[in-house]
Amino acid sequence: MRRLLGAAAVLLTIAFGRAEADSGSPTIRELKELNVEDLMNVEVTSVSRHPQKLLEAASAIQVITQEEIRRSGATSIPEALRLADNLQVAQKNAHDWAISARGFNTALGNKLLVMIDGRTVYTPLYSGVFWDAQDYLLEDIDRIEVISGPGGTLWGANAVNGVINIITKRAADTQGLYAEAGGGSEPHGFAGARYGGSLEGDTHFRVYGKYFDRGDEVLANGDPESDSWRQGRAGFRIDSGPSPRDRLTVQGDYYDGREHVQTGGEADASGANLLGRWTRVLSDDSDLSLQSYIDQTHLTLPTAPLTLNGQQFTPPGNLYDDLTTYDVDFQHRFKVGERNRIVWGLGFRHTHDAVINAPGVGFSPAVLDQNLYNAFVQDEFALRNNLSFTVGTKLEHNDYTGFEFEPNARLSWTLSSSQVVWAAVSRAVRTPSRFDHDLSEGSPPYPVFLKGGSDFTSETVIAYELGYRAQLNSKASVSVSSFYNRYNDVRSISLTPVTVFPVYFANDLQGDTYGLEFSGNYQVSDAWSLHAGYTRLQEHLRVRPGGYDVDNALFETADPEHQFSLRSSLNLPWHAELDAGLRWVDTLHTDNGATPATVPSYFELNARLAWHASERLELSVAGQNLLHNRHPEYGAPDPNRVEIQRSVYGKIAWRY
Amino acid sequence: MAILRRALQAAFCGTLGLALLLRGASGAEAPTEYQVKAVFVYNFSRFVEWPPQAFSAPNEPFVIGILGSDPFGGRLEEAVRGEQIDQHPLLVRRFRSLDEIGDCRILYIDRSESAQLQQILAALDHRNTLTVSDLDDSSQRGVMVQFATENNRIRLRINVESARAAGLTISSKLLRSAEIVGAHNEN
Repeated sequence: MRRLLGAAAVLLTIAFGRAEADSGSPTIRELKELNVEDLMNVEVTSVSRHPQKLLEAASAIQVITQEEIRRSGATSIPEALRLADNLQVAQKNAHDWAISARGFNTALGNKLLVMIDGRTVYTPLYSGVFWDAQDYLLEDIDRIEVISGPGGTLWGANAVNGVINIITKRAADTQGLYAEAGGGSEPHGFAGARYGGSLEGDTHFRVYGKYFDRGDEVLANGDPESDSWRQGRAGFRIDSGPSPRDRLTVQGDYYDGREHVQTGGEADASGANLLGRWTRVLSDDSDLSLQSYIDQTHLTLPTAPLTLNGQQFTPPGNLYDDLTTYDVDFQHRFKVGERNRIVWGLGFRHTHDAVINAPGVGFSPAVLDQNLYNAFVQDEFALRNNLSFTVGTKLEHNDYTGFEFEPNARLSWTLSSSQVVWAAVSRAVRTPSRFDHDLSEGSPPYPVFLKGGSDFTSETVIAYELGYRAQLNSKASVSVSSFYNRYNDVRSISLTPVTVFPVYFANDLQGDTYGLEFSGNYQVSDAWSLHAGYTRLQEHLRVRPGGYDVDNALFETADPEHQFSLRSSLNLPWHAELDAGLRWVDTLHTDNGATPATVPSYFELNARLAWHASERLELSVAGQNLLHNRHPEYGAPDPNRVEIQRSVYGKIAWRY
Repeated sequence: MAILRRALQAAFCGTLGLALLLRGASGAEAPTEYQVKAVFVYNFSRFVEWPPQAFSAPNEPFVIGILGSDPFGGRLEEAVRGEQIDQHPLLVRRFRSLDEIGDCRILYIDRSESAQLQQILAALDHRNTLTVSDLDDSSQRGVMVQFATENNRIRLRINVESARAAGLTISSKLLRSAEIVGAHNEN
């Protein structure tokens, strides 16, 4: 019986090996018949991958490519971030997400640094990201780099557990007209367009606009939630090369969104930004860049009345926040001798934050100006041909805690041109936000129940990492990263002696976390690729000896211990594409108020079928969360917990 | 026994069906970046002229080398299979590192070798080897042909002086549609 199987296998090999040898694949054969000019006009797929660069990186970096975003059917940046295995992504309602790396994915997650084309988008209000304010025409995103683990040395405070870099395409890569429109059960409707052109010489530009309208999700008890939202956005980018050594970029965006919130009423999130960047190449190993931006955001947030044990202490109202950020960054790379690559930089940021307090929640002082200065230096030193050591630190000064050090040391050992082992030790800090320091829940003259801690200091982490990355052969690649983190001075809530209220923020938690991130790719054939990801996370957070916390160290974490994903990307005949992504997320222990509570583990499936009717026209149907009518991803069990519904939409995209 | 045969038959048909489906698919889809680049590399062997001394024997193989990790994944072999230039059969060989580089007429230098580019070019000096790379600015650094991607299309940047210095003549058929890059003087 075994012999029979073996014979069949040999027969198969011969049959297929023969066919290959005679003709080569049809694509190669056709391409060989083209002349050089025609060959240059052939459009290729998946060009924006950087596998080798990725292989060289001595950190837990994952890159989401434009092709992956397009084929996933994602309609927003948070949905696209589900493609990174080293992130925890949970949708709270139609317009809010909790996104974190290596844990601490609380309602006010604060340990991730997020940048769009070098512009920091986390808010100093709570050191987190308003994901509903961050968007782009997804077609024009080049890639999203997701680094789990500290990135403080290069990126600064807040890069405690990870860094997300959203990088848009250069204007030269978005020439011509692109238009898309669609709709379905969710999003209800959307439309976007971009036009890119060139001016004299080496100057390219694009302008884009986008609009969408999303419907309500549903509550656990079956009632509709009031969380529908709509948002419009427009922007531009100009890239110019005044000389072969110089590159100039100017870009800006404007957006305005309205969203219904559970507390009743409509929230308004709007903003605008303008960024300029100049890069000069000095030599093969040396360049410098200067970047500056202004960013303004506006938020109107309806707040609920503050009630305790059924008694109402404040009326409902609105919290208004207007934040203006001015930022300048300088960076210089050069080589010393044959072995040292140095990068150093200076940065300055000024923020002006003006809040109009609501009765239920406010900040004191209401208007605050802050300055942030930083300097960093890092040296990558080649110990041997295949062994490099990187050491560096950032020195940062902020108005709350003064000077902060964020050093790191990394070792990268290239086993062969396709395998690298790396290890790192880093220290990173989360400097206080206005939430930690200036918050007042119940703003005077109303009674105050929770307030910021005037002595609140920075949370710190020391992270130990070990990773391996390999291109196993032309078809398979894997990446494994493991980490052990020790945290100190993590946020806790203390009681005021005698009166109990107001309770206030302190730094009485400490603990450690460890885990593993795995991702692998397998190219089954030219037309079919598979991807698998797995994340393991263990968190042990406790009240420090002699300290106290109202929530008994349960408030700062809400994370799955295990999470895995499996994706398939298949090219079908007749220019069709079929993609599917299955994910499983373990139980979330989402605790608030010292009572353990959970979000049940779940399986979900996204799928997309597309047909390229012509070179210019692409039609697609995408479904999200297909396995259940509705399922919760976040929040304490409650009849009012929001559940995410199954959704399907159709889309037409046109490129000219 | 009958059950076994049926199971085998089913497995066989399954495999066959899937293989046919994928085969059809790969023909219909837009080609991948490295399929196109593989065909370009094949074309270089036809549109570049090597000096007679580059070959010691009339039937010596024409070797195309890949230095570093191989992004082509077998597509280059596919593109050159059964082809020959004059009497020289085309052959693909892989070199893991600089020291391993054997005699070759075309050398594709992978991104993974970025750090050693200068040493590689120095080692190839006067060896009648056409150097090819994807690396940004590699043509300015002395690589003869650089692939650049613009608007999802492959462009060529050719450093004519480097090619000339290695005794190679590049056909106007290639030069016509390429961007010509001046040699960058190394210090």
